Amino acid sequence: MTLLNNIPPGLLLILGAIVLLLLPATARKAGAIALAALGFFAISQLETGERLSPSFLGFDLTLLRVDATSKAFGYIFTLCAVAAFIFSWHEKGRMENTAALVYIGSALGVVFAGDMITWYVCWELMAIASTFLVLARKTEKSLKAAQRYILVHLAGGLILLTGILLTVHNHKTGSIAFNEFPKGEIGSWLILIGILINAAAVPFSSWLPDAYPESTVMGGVILSAYTTKTAVYTLIRGFPGWEILVAVGCVMAIYGIIYALLENDMRRILAYSIINQVGFMVCGVGIGTELAIAGVVAHAFCHIIYKALLWMSAGAVLFRTGKSKCTELGGLYKTMPLTMILGTIGALAISGVPLTSGFISKTLIVAAAENQNYIWAWLVLEIASAGVFLHAGIKFPYFVFFNVDRGLRPKEAPTPMLIAMGLLAFLCILLGCYPAPLYSILPYSDAVKSTTFSAIYVDHFSNVVTMFQLLAFSALAFFVFLPWLKRTPTISIDFDWFYRKGAKLFYAAMDRSLNGLNKAADKHVIKTFLPALTRFALVAPATLTAMALKPIWRAMDSDEDRLAKRRDELVAKFTTGTFPIAYSAACVLIILSLLVLIGRTAD
Amino acid sequence: MNETPEKPFVPDQPTVSRKFWIALWVTCGVSVLLELLVHRHEHFETSDSAFASVTNGFGFYIALGFLACCCAILLAKGLGLFLKAKEDYYDDTP
Repeated sequence: MTLLNNIPPGLLLILGAIVLLLLPATARKAGAIALAALGFFAISQLETGERLSPSFLGFDLTLLRVDATSKAFGYIFTLCAVAAFIFSWHEKGRMENTAALVYIGSALGVVFAGDMITWYVCWELMAIASTFLVLARKTEKSLKAAQRYILVHLAGGLILLTGILLTVHNHKTGSIAFNEFPKGEIGSWLILIGILINAAAVPFSSWLPDAYPESTVMGGVILSAYTTKTAVYTLIRGFPGWEILVAVGCVMAIYGIIYALLENDMRRILAYSIINQVGFMVCGVGIGTELAIAGVVAHAFCHIIYKALLWMSAGAVLFRTGKSKCTELGGLYKTMPLTMILGTIGALAISGVPLTSGFISKTLIVAAAENQNYIWAWLVLEIASAGVFLHAGIKFPYFVFFNVDRGLRPKEAPTPMLIAMGLLAFLCILLGCYPAPLYSILPYSDAVKSTTFSAIYVDHFSNVVTMFQLLAFSALAFFVFLPWLKRTPTISIDFDWFYRKGAKLFYAAMDRSLNGLNKAADKHVIKTFLPALTRFALVAPATLTAMALKPIWRAMDSDEDRLAKRRDELVAKFTTGTFPIAYSAACVLIILSLLVLIGRTAD
Repeated sequence: MNETPEKPFVPDQPTVSRKFWIALWVTCGVSVLLELLVHRHEHFETSDSAFASVTNGFGFYIALGFLACCCAILLAKGLGLFLKAKEDYYDDTP
């Protein structure tokens, strides 16, 4: 298959999206599933190496860089796309389908890009296409959220672009190759910030829980997978072993838990949970050993599956009830039992329960932290593992499907949704019990020692026991504190406060201070000082001249009335600037004489 | 065939049944007992910090799971006093 071996899979999806746009609804939806499956197949046909190097503005691009890392991300991106398109069989609009395909295509573009220009172009295309998935909800809230979303991403994109330009400029060869960035250069730091914005790292995190929950039922499933994981991929490429990422990841992991505990909206809980999970991956990239990088890729792979599954179950609930707040949901297990079971499998997988996919991927990152003696990072990751079970593993299913029966009796999710969820739930358990196929496609796959069921669950049974203990006592804490966890119809203030409320306050402060300054200047300078200065400029020479002439006039004529009249005439002449030539000539003569005199004295 | 009449639901009354509590306590108990049977692998063998040895003590994961979650809940509850806002909080902003 030499043809497929030379086509960037991303391009396949983007061109396919344009063709599908012309087809009727059913063909379009079937086409999207087929296209995603074709993408998966195409990736499986790619041979390792770098190729496709067209020239652009004097730079040689690399549209296709194939290795274990890019292939692993490519597989999961297309696999998730297949499930998401099956799930969204009910969607009728053209916009979502096309936007989703372009979004996924550009994410694949980033993953297979070997140079920074291709990477940047695909990166921005992702931001634009994904905005339409938020817009497609067509509510006022989603419109505003989409505006904020695109603004944050464009700002991030500009920071990234600045970093790329500086880095290319600093390269002696002018190379645009997208590899590990040099430490200690300002360009590298700007690129890192640009990527961390997309990774939803604290404090650039709030765009995610702001925008994703406002997207459509399908949009949420699609969005949950690509932007943050593409950011993780680029971190693996550019910043492996940067220690600051260990700290960034730990903060993200804890931040996600605390905010998810505060949240009332089920999809917002899942959004914060993405930040928590990406925190594990960012931390792993910071550790940077072979085992850590293998663990990050494995975790990204498993995470996309169970997170999409969780967003699907929440999406199915939203689709059937039109509600997404915990304070309005509850007791749905009675009429949506299959959605409940499948969603719970996702919840168990994200919590890393033994026999699920989370257990076989998260443990690799934790083990890497332990091997490198990152004691505090290891402790934070273990705490975060317990916290995940708390907010995503129990809180989400409990408040949505159990808790209080609010009399909602929706129908079970439609069959296509159940099929998609079933597929992902099956993968969660399959990978948990039989992770060898996943481990074999990882970069540095040799670093993963226990790959068989018996090696993981029998030989290392003690790890299973400790995980079991961690989770059992987390569950106990949840139910002991259940009254404290009762949901309230509130939102939580996050970093987006700074550009939503803060910007308004800043505007008001600027309005008050700068416009106040303007008003004061107008009152004191324009209205008072300048007229006074004008008056002074007009009157002062006249008064001085009159004072000088007064003795002469008096000598000529002592009548006071005529003296006053002469004075008034003089002032009038100064005001209008009209003097008889004789006066001017006399003044010039006086000044010249003065100058000569001064000159003489100076000599 | 008799249809069982649905129980009337009581709003705002979380129902965690007695059976569930028993199951939860049994699960926790089993997890503790299992630790007696297995030999746990040593964490941070090369490190000589005091904390590293604590992580290898009996019941470390039990304490960690329970305390971490209690702290997370308390922290969230405390921060909620400052961070929670009404749903229309942002309505007048873009």
